[in-house]
Amino acid sequence: MSSSNVSYTLRYFDIVGFAESSRILLTAAGVEWTDEHPEWPQEKPNQPHGRMPVLVEKSTDGSPDFVICESSNIERYLARTYGFLPTDLKQAALQEQLRDLMSDVIALFTPQVQCKNEEDKAEFQTKFDGLLETLIKVQTKLLKDNNNTGRLFGNKLSYADIVTYGFYMTILVSFAGFKADIVDVIKPKLTPEIVKLISVVESDPLVVKHKSRGGSLVAIVSA
Amino acid sequence: MLSGSDTVYVLRYFDVIGRAEGCRLLLTAANASWTEEHPEWPAEKANQPFERLPVLVERSNGNEWILCESLTIERYLARVFGFMPTDLKQAALQEQMADQQADLLSAFFGQLTATGDMKSKQIDEFNTLFDRMVKEHGRILSRSSSKQHLFGDQLSYADISLYAFYKLFIVYLKCYQSDIAEIVKSKLTPEIINLILSIEKEPQLAPHFSKCDTMAAIFTAKDF
Repeated sequence: MSSSNVSYTLRYFDIVGFAESSRILLTAAGVEWTDEHPEWPQEKPNQPHGRMPVLVEKSTDGSPDFVICESSNIERYLARTYGFLPTDLKQAALQEQLRDLMSDVIALFTPQVQCKNEEDKAEFQTKFDGLLETLIKVQTKLLKDNNNTGRLFGNKLSYADIVTYGFYMTILVSFAGFKADIVDVIKPKLTPEIVKLISVVESDPLVVKHKSRGGSLVAIVSA
Repeated sequence: MLSGSDTVYVLRYFDVIGRAEGCRLLLTAANASWTEEHPEWPAEKANQPFERLPVLVERSNGNEWILCESLTIERYLARVFGFMPTDLKQAALQEQMADQQADLLSAFFGQLTATGDMKSKQIDEFNTLFDRMVKEHGRILSRSSSKQHLFGDQLSYADISLYAFYKLFIVYLKCYQSDIAEIVKSKLTPEIINLILSIEKEPQLAPHFSKCDTMAAIFTAKDF
């Protein structure tokens, strides 16, 4: 799809947070785009759901800006528009289900950090650990079944690869701010297949020019 | 419709509204051949691809295909059965509503399980998010030509997802927090209540209400 008359603004905080996959998709798509860091919370009422990230698509053809929100929704829209999600409904769904599982893992992180009661904290931690373990098992099997190329599906960079990379960025970089030992806890759980995916995505010709404010994920998981 | 007439679906879940109501409503509205299975739990955990439910099993021409994650299942069924717009922008506007609803469900459990100082903060957050969402539903509805649908003049994924969401909060979640139904009801505008009751009356959804109650009796004259 021609992108010469379309440009994007991604509104979010100046952090990795939940926006890294969208940033990588925009870079990989080869479209013109910029990060915008709105004054917060002043700009809250001006966002569709009062939250970020928000994607603004501008066109030179005079049509109004197209604005969407919700991080995983932004990712799916970009992935479909720029060919990173298959058009086949079943093939696309098999990729999307992985991202939804990753969202579930992320949702289990906050309660364990916010909980003051040690018993409840431990319970949330157990749930988080358990679901992360399931996710790693599922991802590793897919990678092995795909000839251990570092790609989850097929033989080129996919939506699934990108959001998986973005997920590990979120938990190993963003969450480290809330739980100092998270890298030490999670790194040993990463299988060689997942480490290879991280390397293959980071060095992909379409991604390599993306300079994440989180630094190199390869460096973090290899250290 | 992209599914063959010999395709049958099995929805595996617990025998509760929970996170599967959107899937049930979509399969019903699609007039698909489908049944529900309530696997022994946790005995059947290890036999599910993600060790969780819901799971959708699609059987066609002797082949079996399996999908997990409630929202992925919903979006897949919505696309297969024509409830999701094929235009990517229009689809994204519907999908973001479902994602917002999922955030609200997380916020509900967040305020439910919070303790100490966090509790009142989480309750405030939940209320703020919910009120904002209701306002957004109202805004979309005000731009819709038919006040019985969010987009266009036919039942869409967004309508089904919205109905399932309000049913979850008004009918089901009281098993976790006894006053949540009243709290949520008090936040609804007459327009949103009217939308909920209109969706419920869609002929495509009629078979669903042979198995459960409508919400019509829950909203009395004083709610409007």
